[in-house]
Amino acid sequence: MSAGLGEASSGVAMAEISPRIGYGAAVLVALLWTVPFLWMLVAAFNPQNVGAGMASLVPSYVPTLANFREAWASADFPRYGLNTLIISLGILAVQLVTITLAGYAFARLEFPGRSLCFYLFLLQLMLAPVVLIVPNLAMIARLGLYDSLLGVMAPYFASAFGTFLMRQAFKAIPRELEDAALIDGATVWQRIGFIYLPLAKPSLIAFAIVSVTAHWNEFLWPLMVINSPDLRPLTVGLATFTRGAEGAQAWGVIAAGTLIVSAPLLLAFALFQRAFVNSFVSSGIK
Amino acid sequence: MTQAILSARAIGAGESRGRPFWPRGDTALAFGLLAPSLLLLGLFTYAPVVQLVWQALTAQSTIGGPQLFAGLENFRALFADGAFRKALANNLIYALGTVVPSLVLALGLALALVRSTQVNALLRALLFVPVLFPLVAAASIFLFIFLPGIGLLDYHLAKLALSGPNWLGDPDVALYAIMGLTIWKNAGYYMLFFLAGLQGVPADAYEAAILDGANPWQRLRHVTLPYLKPTIGFVMVIGLLNVVTQVDHVFVLTKGGPSDSTNLLLFYVYQQAVETYDVGRAAAGTLVMLALLLAITAGSLRTLERSFGEKEP
Amino acid sequence: MTTTRRSLLAGAALAAGLSLAPAFAQTPTEIELFFPVPVDGQLARDMAVLIKEFNTAHPAIKATPVYTGSYDETLIKTRAAMKAGKAPAAVIMSANFLLDLKIEGEIQSLDGLVKADGKTNEQFMGQFFPALHGNAVIDRSIYGVPFHNSTPLLYVNVDHLKEAGLDPEKLPENWQDLVTAAKKLTRREGERTTRWGITLPSNYDYGGWILQALTQSNGGQWFNPEFGGEVYYDTPSMLGALTFWSDLIAKHKVHPSGVQAGGAVSSAFLAGQSSMVLLSTGSLTHIRTNAKFPYKVAFVPKNLRNEVPIGGASLVIPKGVEGERRKAAWTLINWMTSPEKSAWWSRATGYFAPNKAAYDTPEMKAFIATNPDAGVAVKQLDYASAWFATYKTVPVRKAIEDELQAVLAGKKQPKEALAAAQKQADEILRPYVEQTALKLPTQ
Repeated sequence: MSAGLGEASSGVAMAEISPRIGYGAAVLVALLWTVPFLWMLVAAFNPQNVGAGMASLVPSYVPTLANFREAWASADFPRYGLNTLIISLGILAVQLVTITLAGYAFARLEFPGRSLCFYLFLLQLMLAPVVLIVPNLAMIARLGLYDSLLGVMAPYFASAFGTFLMRQAFKAIPRELEDAALIDGATVWQRIGFIYLPLAKPSLIAFAIVSVTAHWNEFLWPLMVINSPDLRPLTVGLATFTRGAEGAQAWGVIAAGTLIVSAPLLLAFALFQRAFVNSFVSSGIK
Repeated sequence: MTQAILSARAIGAGESRGRPFWPRGDTALAFGLLAPSLLLLGLFTYAPVVQLVWQALTAQSTIGGPQLFAGLENFRALFADGAFRKALANNLIYALGTVVPSLVLALGLALALVRSTQVNALLRALLFVPVLFPLVAAASIFLFIFLPGIGLLDYHLAKLALSGPNWLGDPDVALYAIMGLTIWKNAGYYMLFFLAGLQGVPADAYEAAILDGANPWQRLRHVTLPYLKPTIGFVMVIGLLNVVTQVDHVFVLTKGGPSDSTNLLLFYVYQQAVETYDVGRAAAGTLVMLALLLAITAGSLRTLERSFGEKEP
Repeated sequence: MTTTRRSLLAGAALAAGLSLAPAFAQTPTEIELFFPVPVDGQLARDMAVLIKEFNTAHPAIKATPVYTGSYDETLIKTRAAMKAGKAPAAVIMSANFLLDLKIEGEIQSLDGLVKADGKTNEQFMGQFFPALHGNAVIDRSIYGVPFHNSTPLLYVNVDHLKEAGLDPEKLPENWQDLVTAAKKLTRREGERTTRWGITLPSNYDYGGWILQALTQSNGGQWFNPEFGGEVYYDTPSMLGALTFWSDLIAKHKVHPSGVQAGGAVSSAFLAGQSSMVLLSTGSLTHIRTNAKFPYKVAFVPKNLRNEVPIGGASLVIPKGVEGERRKAAWTLINWMTSPEKSAWWSRATGYFAPNKAAYDTPEMKAFIATNPDAGVAVKQLDYASAWFATYKTVPVRKAIEDELQAVLAGKKQPKEALAAAQKQADEILRPYVEQTALKLPTQ
């Protein structure tokens, strides 16, 4: 359904609202956007770590893996990667449940205080993580989750962004479908599970990508919660060598380390990019 | 199928106003469904907010002593602080200078890349790459872009026999350099929401416009943009929240300098909390930020909902 | 050798365990050490190795090394953990945070532990370089044990000196030499400067430290080391220092304008775009590893005298760490600051070993012999004094750094900048002054 919808309108849209000049400009912008990434690739394989020619985008050297070796040796990446995976997917799993339920309530149910509740949810988006560190760490400790992966995950289990997104997606689904199921005697769980969720799948995938990317890359909160070296996520391992305080900046190693940490995301992106973009394209933000 | 859904939605939206669906069971069910989220938000959002309110109303009367009730003293001190006013002004420039260009750029890119071809998929992906990098590492990369003399910008300017400004070290330039970086980070992200929005523009709306003899600009103005209003509202809300709550690159690149020229509200709050260790003023600053964001969000959402053709949430 | 020592120690511990209460031997005391990584990534691994060695040598203690980001993040994490009731047993803390932490009552005095070891404070601190005492001892009580330390240092590109016809055996010793050399070293192509004579870092934190070094080299004092409520910003010595820095840019045109971040300065030096730089001794290892040209280091050039501030970090024990954990933390701290470990860490990081005896170890003697630059750095310690620390150190420092940055960008004149900085700093210090030096008998 979504694909059909996408093709039908986008074909016309392309022909009508995007003249060639606009398209050319978009290509240029995309290439410009890629320059820092290209530089990172060039720098990561550069045997020279510092110096005047570091900024060149044309490799003028024999490529080396030394930067990758050094970055790899700086932290226990396989273990940290596993921790990051557990954190990102763990958060996502719980979020998918909480945002579906809350999204349905906001999209389809009438109840007193709905507006107030909605703004109460959005409050989460208005507080920057850095101001929540002290109270949330105290809460995590009280719950006995200090120095545990669950402690890193717990504050993110509810997501205002996700709820907002699912609300929009559910609203776009015709009520008639639910009415029909209601007449057949379907319970609310059945209606959510068999009507809403399948139709909102693109939105769920879109949210999944946004959520996993965000938590994959998070640094400050895990740094606060985790003490045990075995529980460190990738970003904490990465930070040990990307942030020398007294002026040490080994750009090549930093670029290599960044590629190592981002590789799984980039790889997933490369493999699923069409589905990813299409899922975004057909997600219910209308 | 497509048409059916579109028209069904139009009818459904109109109908649902007058006819509440399951009036009696709804309230209990709704709160049941919201309970898990509300419980978690209670622990990790509302409890801290309550604590912030308390902290904002207390201060140390003796150094190293206990926090005692101080009324609105923290708020008075906050607004009396030149650095806070400067951060507020900077944040305003930063918000206007990044949200609008990112939005326009994202919309333009979405319009250009709306068709799902192989090439377009690749271009969209390239534009999304900035979002994928973890900040702890990207910060160093950003630093290298702006590095005087040998950095990515200056190196290539030098090839043209030009010398760039001291990007992050000149108080007149630094905020704009940071803004450029923000636009680079956000345009691709917002583009995806516009791509999604564009899928909702029905083809027959264009056909009708073409029959009426509208030129491409008129169609953009009278067909595309009206349909995109909710998306523009949504991206604007997310964008405005981001320019206040997601300013990590300021933390890593300039620490608000030189001479506070890139100091933003959140970084000011951070300085009060961590560097000055004035918990009360930091809490007051956070609450002022919160109030500003609530006002902006409520305003934008109301517009968004009105464009959607129904009353708010 | 290590095996023998380790088994000996294990044997000793076993004997101790048998003779003491059995419970003591069974469950080791668990402690955490919060450590930032100030130089490079390999150190996080080095720290893990170090702590593992400690744990093997001390079966009754199980220490965990906890990487905590930058110095600032370490402070945030320590405070958040304390508020959550999870105070770490020991923390490596930026040395100029200690006074603030003591004033706020967040770290504990170590006097009792020193006394229990049968030493006086003077005997205990006597093992460290005198320059380091100022930031560790507050009101005659010990609050921190120096762990790794630094001073600013002049780095010079020898190739550039030779090109400019300067004698590499005679590095600039005073401000006049420095300007003369810098002028000869600066290269221009039309309007564009392709090589700067000298660059000093001026980002927050670094800028204040360098300005302190210049002020002290000009006979000045920056702050009152005995009382945390006074800074001397609006003084002739600092005016001279700030004007000198500003002149390098505006008058002599040998220094780039605007703020130069520490990372940018070391990159510019390594890329040959700045012939001379002032950087921390903590950058020595990085420069040594990456410089593709011969370089030399020298004392910070003086106007009136040789004096520089120290930098670096100390080990502290937060409030609320008691009993066995406190004792175990103390054991760890003493072990880490012993001559051998201190020397090892110094060679790995490029920082000084604060423990004087570290330089008597054969490994360290050999190291200094092969790396004379490290030797110069240590010699400068004889001319070093305490790092800037007052009540609310960071905002008080920021008061002058904001003005410094305005001067370097050509937005303000030194004189008015210093007056503004003094006013701002006095305002921040006022509550403390009112509750200390100006709290007088009223009757």
